[in-house]
Amino acid sequence: MWVYVLRRVLSSIPTLFGVALLVFILFHVMGGDPVYQMVGKHASAQQIADLRHEYGLDQPKTTQFLRYLQQVVTFDFGRSYATRQPIRQMILNGIGPSLTLAIPAFILTTVLSVLISLVVVYFRGRWPDRLGVVLCVLGMSVPMLAYILLGQYLFGYKLGWFPISGFDAGWPQRLGYVALPALIWVAVATGYDVRFYRTALIEELGNDYVRTARAKGLGEPGIFLKHVLKNGMIPVLTNVVIQIPLLILGSFLLERFFGIPGLGSMMIDALHGSDFPVIRTMTTLGAILMIIGNLATDVLYTVFDPRVRLS
Amino acid sequence: MVCGSISLTRTVIGLLIAFSIQGCVKSAPETAQVLHLAHPEKVKGLDPIYSDDIYVADEASRVYETLFQYHYLKRPYTLIPNLAEAMPEISKDGRIYTIRLKKAVLFQDDKCFKATSRKGRELTADDVIYSLKRLVDPKLHSTGAWLLNGRVEGVSEWHQAAKDSEVTDYTKEIAGLKALDRYTIQIRLLKRSASFLYSLAMPFTGVVAPEAVAYYGKDFSNHAVGTGPFRLTEFSQNRQVWVRNPTFRTEKYPSEGEPGDREAGLLQDAGKTLPLIDKLVVDVYEEWQPLWLNFLSGKLDRTFIPKDSFSQTITAGKELSPELTAKGIRLHRFPLLDIVHLTLNMADPLLGKNKYLRQALSLAWDADRYNSIFWNGRSIPAQGPIPPGLAGFDMEYRNPYRQFNIKKAKELLAKAGFPEGNGLPPLIYNATADSSSRQATEYTVQMFKQIGVKVKVETYSWPEFQTLIRNRKGQIWSYAWNADYPDSENFLQLFYSKNASPGPNDSNYSNPAYDDLYERAITLPAGPARIALYQQMVRMIAEDCPWIVQVHRMGFHLTSPGFGNYKPSAFYHADAKYYRFDPAAQVGSAGKN
Repeated sequence: MWVYVLRRVLSSIPTLFGVALLVFILFHVMGGDPVYQMVGKHASAQQIADLRHEYGLDQPKTTQFLRYLQQVVTFDFGRSYATRQPIRQMILNGIGPSLTLAIPAFILTTVLSVLISLVVVYFRGRWPDRLGVVLCVLGMSVPMLAYILLGQYLFGYKLGWFPISGFDAGWPQRLGYVALPALIWVAVATGYDVRFYRTALIEELGNDYVRTARAKGLGEPGIFLKHVLKNGMIPVLTNVVIQIPLLILGSFLLERFFGIPGLGSMMIDALHGSDFPVIRTMTTLGAILMIIGNLATDVLYTVFDPRVRLS
Repeated sequence: MVCGSISLTRTVIGLLIAFSIQGCVKSAPETAQVLHLAHPEKVKGLDPIYSDDIYVADEASRVYETLFQYHYLKRPYTLIPNLAEAMPEISKDGRIYTIRLKKAVLFQDDKCFKATSRKGRELTADDVIYSLKRLVDPKLHSTGAWLLNGRVEGVSEWHQAAKDSEVTDYTKEIAGLKALDRYTIQIRLLKRSASFLYSLAMPFTGVVAPEAVAYYGKDFSNHAVGTGPFRLTEFSQNRQVWVRNPTFRTEKYPSEGEPGDREAGLLQDAGKTLPLIDKLVVDVYEEWQPLWLNFLSGKLDRTFIPKDSFSQTITAGKELSPELTAKGIRLHRFPLLDIVHLTLNMADPLLGKNKYLRQALSLAWDADRYNSIFWNGRSIPAQGPIPPGLAGFDMEYRNPYRQFNIKKAKELLAKAGFPEGNGLPPLIYNATADSSSRQATEYTVQMFKQIGVKVKVETYSWPEFQTLIRNRKGQIWSYAWNADYPDSENFLQLFYSKNASPGPNDSNYSNPAYDDLYERAITLPAGPARIALYQQMVRMIAEDCPWIVQVHRMGFHLTSPGFGNYKPSAFYHADAKYYRFDPAAQVGSAGKN
């Protein structure tokens, strides 16, 4: 297995290189000159030239790309154009708030989705199944923004159950601030997950081993919990594990609307302010996390399904 | 097992709601004088030399004081001493400013003051000189270096020497910046400048402590050690919490203002020691809905009104809606001192060489309709670059090319060689890719179409847009300029040829006669002679038409019932020390819903 992991890690290098190249081209070759953002409205040509020199933007593109690659390898992404702070520090500051929202929301979504899927599959074709499907489609069809606007107005402003927005770095106060966005996350994500898990579990129910189990006289709950659930775990696992690393990146919309100072909000600000070093760092980080997620999924397959062999 | 999971889920939801309600209880109305304000963007830092960003300027000026400040109540804006003991002594040739500092002004206590065991020491003339040197340190790339570069003697030489050396030497003197003694500084200008004194009231020139800069190093921007009325207790880009500075010098609330201030209750606190509030909490709301709901629920004390909510908040008569009035919320209107305009690039071979074409475009553009569609009718259609409220603005003046007149526009277009637009290639409108810009672009396309002028729209990201116009490559685009200081010169310098792109003269207008007037005007003291030159320059701009002037914006702010002493200003940065908050007035009105 370790050989497989090593091979996958090595094979991800060209992928990362490709991502890095693409990001570099997008922001350094096709985009505008970021220096104009930083110099202010009264800048002279000399000041602009000085700043371009300072940031190495007057160097040949190949030199700039090599420097960027060096930053990726050393995880020293330099400083933000907008805040002039080290990007590494900004990321470390943002991870906590992002995960405070993402972890409970993700766990709750996953638990609820698996439970609901089991219920609707157990009652497949009957009214609980139909109701579940209708609710899932409804949940998926309504944009997250609508949930946010309604949630803030109804539960935050009118009923006063939750803070309308904001964040408190202290514990456990911060949980109060992420409660409403976390519930909105659950409302939006559960629909997608239930649909996906339901399909996967129904597929399992059609397999020969289920018929065999029934023929042997096993009750439906037993078949469900002992056999179908375990075998149906592979697609569930794929969906769950692949998402875990990406949780770090936060939620763009939720963080922005609820004033949570996480990485999602940081990325939106960087996009608004054309803060290229932050954008390229977050994009590269996203690619690395995606690769890690994929690899972790493949490795965990072997745990849940002994038939899968990594080679 | 299933039941257990459901129970767990319920427990988690229950806990979340419990924590939320706990959070709400904590943020219930406070009894101390705590004011809650908001910014629509994150605060990138607190270093005053980057005060080009208005949110940095706003926060930094709570702690870093300038030599001069604007009188809180008087209009037109009037400079008064702040750290300075009195207004400066200015030499007869207008080049030498001698400024005496107040004594016993203390920096806030901080661990950076090792020599005094963390006690804040007295501010001296050396601190002022050090802070001004930071502004022009080439290694710091301040966005305010223009205030001194090319204006103060020896700055260019010092700047060059610093650029050539590994580390900037702050012990090296600048010929035009001198500490004459512990409490006196002298500034020598290269030539007389009527607007220079305003520089010393801008947040860029806030005085910092060298010890703090050295101690916090690259993290200096996240700390605040100044002499101001507030002391920072919490800083993140999303939230800043300030409390009253116990070592703040004695400063009193003004006892005179302009007519109407007394009736508006703005002189109730005359003579009281500043600051009036105990604590100031500033949160960032990047989206409108949470800001508005927090304001309505009494958790925020001031808000602006975005255009999409304007009609629900303000009546047709431009008054506050009865519902909000009943809650005790107050409306404040004030001119922003700005100009929104379309730039016609004079460096463009087609537009730059055809005055009649530019005049025709200007006449085809309906400012009143634009004001109604895009600004809810709350802006002032412009006749020239100078906004109302500044000396040089002529209320009677009507720009001959700023009236909506299709017939005359068509005549001028024919005179330009393009009757009904025939023979004229499509003009390129350079726009940014946001929705507001796209809507305004669509409007302009329709306006020009009325006289047969076709427009091709090209959209760009903001950096691409900046790159394009700073390299003089665009043809037509929309832009705005906010006053840096209350002098018309700040608007008229936008047409001075030496300020052409990448400088602030984005139209690249170049007219030796205009330059001559400008150079004469900036050395004249304030008065009728200078105003006459300003008005002559405005007429010259109207005739040459490098801009299609659009509107001067008006600010509409709402304040909570408990928020007292609020007088909006275009230069509001250090105003929080005058604000009052009455918790009793807050409860029972907007605080409850």
